[in-house]
Amino acid sequence: MSAIDWGIIAVYLTWLVWDGIRLSKNTTEIEGYFLASRSLPWWAVGLSVMATQLSAITMIGTTGQGYAVGMGLLQQYYALPIAMIIIAVTFVPFFHNARIFTAYEYLERRFDAKTRSFTALLFLFSRGMSTGVVISAPAVVLSVMIGLDVTTTCLLLALPTAVYTMFGGVQAVAWTDVKQMYLIVFGLGAACVALMLGLPDNVSVGEALHIAGTTGRLQVFDFSTDPSVRYTFWTGTIGALFLFLSYFGTDQSQVQRYLAAKSIDQARSSLFMSAYWKIPLQALVMIIGVFMFLFYLFTPPPMLFNRAHDQRVRESARAGEYAALEQKFSEAFVARKGAAERLAEAQRGGDAALAASRAAEFKAEEQNVLGVRAEAVSLVKAVSGDTTYNDINYVFPTFIVTHLPVGLIGLLMAAIFAAAMSTVAGELSALSTSTVIDFYRRWVRDDGDQAHLLWVSKLATLFWALFASVVAIWAAELGSLIEVVNRFGSFFYGSILGVFLLAIGWSRANSTGAFVGLLAGMGVVGYVTVNTTVAFLWHNLIGAVVVFVVGMIVSEVSGPRKPQSAVRAPAADV
Amino acid sequence: MTAMSKTYVRVATVWVATLAALYFFQSYFTR
Repeated sequence: MSAIDWGIIAVYLTWLVWDGIRLSKNTTEIEGYFLASRSLPWWAVGLSVMATQLSAITMIGTTGQGYAVGMGLLQQYYALPIAMIIIAVTFVPFFHNARIFTAYEYLERRFDAKTRSFTALLFLFSRGMSTGVVISAPAVVLSVMIGLDVTTTCLLLALPTAVYTMFGGVQAVAWTDVKQMYLIVFGLGAACVALMLGLPDNVSVGEALHIAGTTGRLQVFDFSTDPSVRYTFWTGTIGALFLFLSYFGTDQSQVQRYLAAKSIDQARSSLFMSAYWKIPLQALVMIIGVFMFLFYLFTPPPMLFNRAHDQRVRESARAGEYAALEQKFSEAFVARKGAAERLAEAQRGGDAALAASRAAEFKAEEQNVLGVRAEAVSLVKAVSGDTTYNDINYVFPTFIVTHLPVGLIGLLMAAIFAAAMSTVAGELSALSTSTVIDFYRRWVRDDGDQAHLLWVSKLATLFWALFASVVAIWAAELGSLIEVVNRFGSFFYGSILGVFLLAIGWSRANSTGAFVGLLAGMGVVGYVTVNTTVAFLWHNLIGAVVVFVVGMIVSEVSGPRKPQSAVRAPAADV
Repeated sequence: MTAMSKTYVRVATVWVATLAALYFFQSYFTR
């Protein structure tokens, strides 16, 4: 990268920290620090919610997914608008009227302290770990791309974020998210245009998309009913519905945002921004991956995108074997390029039979390229001992640093930083809120001393930033840990949703029913995870249903709930 | 029908239109 690109990243990081702190107002009380004194406009909350979801893993992992296999993952987001309507009708008015800081507070009012503390603890542990992964995954890729060691890139992502989150609270998080979101969308748009302009003159965008279509990369609807298939229309609309209900309805990192909105209707409107824009935005991210595939049909790609591993094999005893594979890859690329051009020509001519035969020829050449790449991957695995080697996360950063002009490289790299930091900031703020409200203020000290609570809140933010950094550095060394953490999250997401559904939807539910139901839900999901091949999106549905049904039965058997200061049903219109 | 109810209908309508557009996109480029 050039000095100009480095300069852009440095200026961006410095400005972000300064701006985050500058914009913080009314942070002398914890309601200001955690909930911006419930004063944020809907559009700022909406953009902040979207920025938190759009992590650097989305920027580099999802584009890589689009490149390698296509847009099937998009189906995972199909239920989101429906989930938003359900949350707007149910959770939002309940939480707003309850005047709470955390979603888990509501569970104590409805059930008991045990249920609240347990769900909050699950949130803290899983979110603390996953924040580490959110830092680690892009840090590993960035370290290879910009030539810094991984500890440095982890700290470059974590420390500036920790500073403005710690001093500015949720206001700093929300307002920096807004600007980061602009940068991310601009960066994605610029990358998409650059990729389209990078296609050869004799192949139009439409013809190129037809080529992608022949490989199945544009399949965004798969109606398979096989429960082991990860992304289908059914997992996306039914299984993922429960995931989104859980994430947006019960996860503090999201709930905190709409609790910071001025009113119930403003909170609802903020959620509808995601309802309208999440699917198109995710489609943009994925189509960038598809355009990278098309770009590299006509421009020679590296055989492997992870330069560190590539270099390692070149310096090993099997370098000769690797060089021979590169020669083979180069020949396969030329053959595939010719086949792609002939396919585009046939499509232009309008002869359906010829186009079909050229498509078959192209697919055969594509298989040759994939076959050589698979041999190279096996070689890397054998030389490095890294049996989980996968370089799809390196495709987008490689394209950025090798094919974009100076200046745009810095902007795109800054956009990847922005995506990581906006997610990390939101999660640090939520972790700090839950630590202080659900544990410190609940169990240790509740004398209303705002200055003291504010000081503890900042300390908690710093603690979680350090915790996430340590996890990130550790996870970077143990790549497989990332998958473990991700699976751990899906292990109880549905179960936590089940507890909230029980609280809101079954008036005779009691604390015993909720707690036993929660344990039963987690147990069943654990069993399904270990012993079956059922795709993870279904785990959310299974968890929620088991908790609700078991909770209902146990509540009925164990008698009526104790009188609590239950939260009133909302009076607002729906 | 309240203003918010109309918003819910609008969100659902846009959702259906988005999925329909994606289905058309898939059908057009994979034929």
